[in-house]
Amino acid sequence: MLEIDGLRKRYGDKTALDGVGFTVRPGEMFGFVGANGAGKTTTMRIVMGVLDADSGEVRLDGRPVTYDDRRTFGYMPEERGLYQKMKVAEQIEYFGRLHGLAPAAARSATAALIERLGLVERRDDAVEALSLGNQQRVQLAVALVHQPAVLILDEPFSGLDPLAVDALAEVLKDRAAAGVPVIFSSHQLDLVEQLCDSVGIISAGRMVAYGPVGELREREGRGVLRVVVGDAAPGWADGLPGELTREGDRDVLLCEEGDDQDILRTAIGAGRVEHFGRRQPTLAEIFREAVA
Amino acid sequence: MNGLWLVAQREIRTRVRTKSYLISLAVSAVLVAALAFLPKVLGGDDTYDVGVVGDAPPPAAQLAYSWWPDEAAARKAVVDGDLDAVLVNGDKVLANGELDQRLGLILESAHRDAQIKASGLTITPLTVESVGADARYQGVRTGIATLIVMVLFFLLIYSSMFVAMGVVEEKGSRIVEILLTSVRPWQLLGGKIVGLGALGLVNLVVVIAAGLAASFATGFTADLPPGMGGIVVSAVVWFVLGYAFFSALAAAFGSLVSRQEELNTVLTPMTMLMMFTYLTAYFAAVEPTGTVARVLSFVPPFSSMVMPVRTAAVDVPLGEILIAGALMVVAVVAVLLGAARVYQRAVLRTGARVKLGEVVR
Repeated sequence: MLEIDGLRKRYGDKTALDGVGFTVRPGEMFGFVGANGAGKTTTMRIVMGVLDADSGEVRLDGRPVTYDDRRTFGYMPEERGLYQKMKVAEQIEYFGRLHGLAPAAARSATAALIERLGLVERRDDAVEALSLGNQQRVQLAVALVHQPAVLILDEPFSGLDPLAVDALAEVLKDRAAAGVPVIFSSHQLDLVEQLCDSVGIISAGRMVAYGPVGELREREGRGVLRVVVGDAAPGWADGLPGELTREGDRDVLLCEEGDDQDILRTAIGAGRVEHFGRRQPTLAEIFREAVA
Repeated sequence: MNGLWLVAQREIRTRVRTKSYLISLAVSAVLVAALAFLPKVLGGDDTYDVGVVGDAPPPAAQLAYSWWPDEAAARKAVVDGDLDAVLVNGDKVLANGELDQRLGLILESAHRDAQIKASGLTITPLTVESVGADARYQGVRTGIATLIVMVLFFLLIYSSMFVAMGVVEEKGSRIVEILLTSVRPWQLLGGKIVGLGALGLVNLVVVIAAGLAASFATGFTADLPPGMGGIVVSAVVWFVLGYAFFSALAAAFGSLVSRQEELNTVLTPMTMLMMFTYLTAYFAAVEPTGTVARVLSFVPPFSSMVMPVRTAAVDVPLGEILIAGALMVVAVVAVLLGAARVYQRAVLRTGARVKLGEVVR
């Protein structure tokens, strides 16, 4: 279990992190969401030990994370970095060796990843000769080659085509299924919603919302009642709290207050009730709400 | 330690595969070999070609004889410039115009010796006793010292430059962020220095081997001073010390910037120090017994080039060499520790140039 607890970081008089904390259980996929400059990268760099926090702690299974622990982590930094003139397979293998794999183990892990990430034809090409998408796959392979015990990925999906996104998503699910805590940041909220078990939203160095995706949606969506009445006369909702909005070719009533039973009775009187329930906001809506 | 070796191996493998390394290796070897041939080419040969007609004269040093059937043929060869002179029946000399003065003396003395010997007299030659320093090899030793200055300077600046470029490459591409989550800063820095240093050492050994091989080929080895082995060992050891010093500086300064274009500016203090070391060493090659040379051969990092030059040019007491070596080792350790500190603090701070004052303290 990876615990991030009360991280604070200041640069001069600018506060980058103001008490960031969350927990990722083994096998959990955690989506880290926030506007540019909100503190995602700073948090991840502190977790990886690339940066020191002013205060706060990162713990693995209850103990403060050490350098030796971090050697077993897989990391994909925000700024991608590879040796441009080194060959693909050689490079992945080299990083495997640096992380402590024996030569044979590094070689076989490299071969498996190259196969899995669709780089077989490119294995002996220099990295600089690859497209950006393929370079990104190599970057991912470098983060995965040593079968990491924790995965920290900063914007792993940015710049990938849909097929590569699917391949990467599969690999991440795989690692999570093997019991690895996975943290990744992304601006693609639909992807986060679809992949992650829990989500943390960070704004101006503070966690503004955090929890399992379903819970978050329920919690944030509470209070908004969505009612759709087919073949109702225009103006059926006059006198009810909330307002009618157009959704496609239908009128939809959204109510934030009022007695739901009264509203239901009025709706039944007006026509055929097609939908009546608490609205589940999308992650994007929760995000906008939380960050605003 | 394992991490350090892995990094060093990568440096060697990557660099050895580049064309530029192989070319520079070949060029430096050819250059030094050519220098070893130079005295032969410039000095011309120092033996005279003498044609002989009739009686065979006794052999003499510096004379190469060839036999001719008759005087007319030999005379033609002299006029054509194929022969320096012709000895006819041991008592007449044919020369093209005026006879070379030195050749004349040699022929005259050989002729006289033969007559004295024929008359039954024995003569004892003069004995020569050398007082003062053995100056026989002074010219050669100065030449070797000058050559060592050039080779050491070239290899030091070129190897250190590669260390600095490698540091900036990793910092600029941010790959260092991943590297430092799997190896310690000192392993990454040390591996780079060791790997590129090994290549520099290979280059030095190749250059020395090329120089010695060329000397053998030209017969120049006979003129080499005794103790050549010591001179070579001293050059190699001092190269290692000097390289450790300057490459650590190069890495520390290099870690302050994120772009190769900024490298030259940030390395200026180091290159100035190197240039200054080079100039003092050059001066020491010309004047190896002067006070400046003696004093600077103890002061790091000047000693890294001045001491091997002094050792090549004159005989230096072993005690002095050991003291200079010990001082240099202390300086190297200090610079390595300082450089590791600067590197560790600066290498992750990408973007604008990091001020040295911010990372020391």
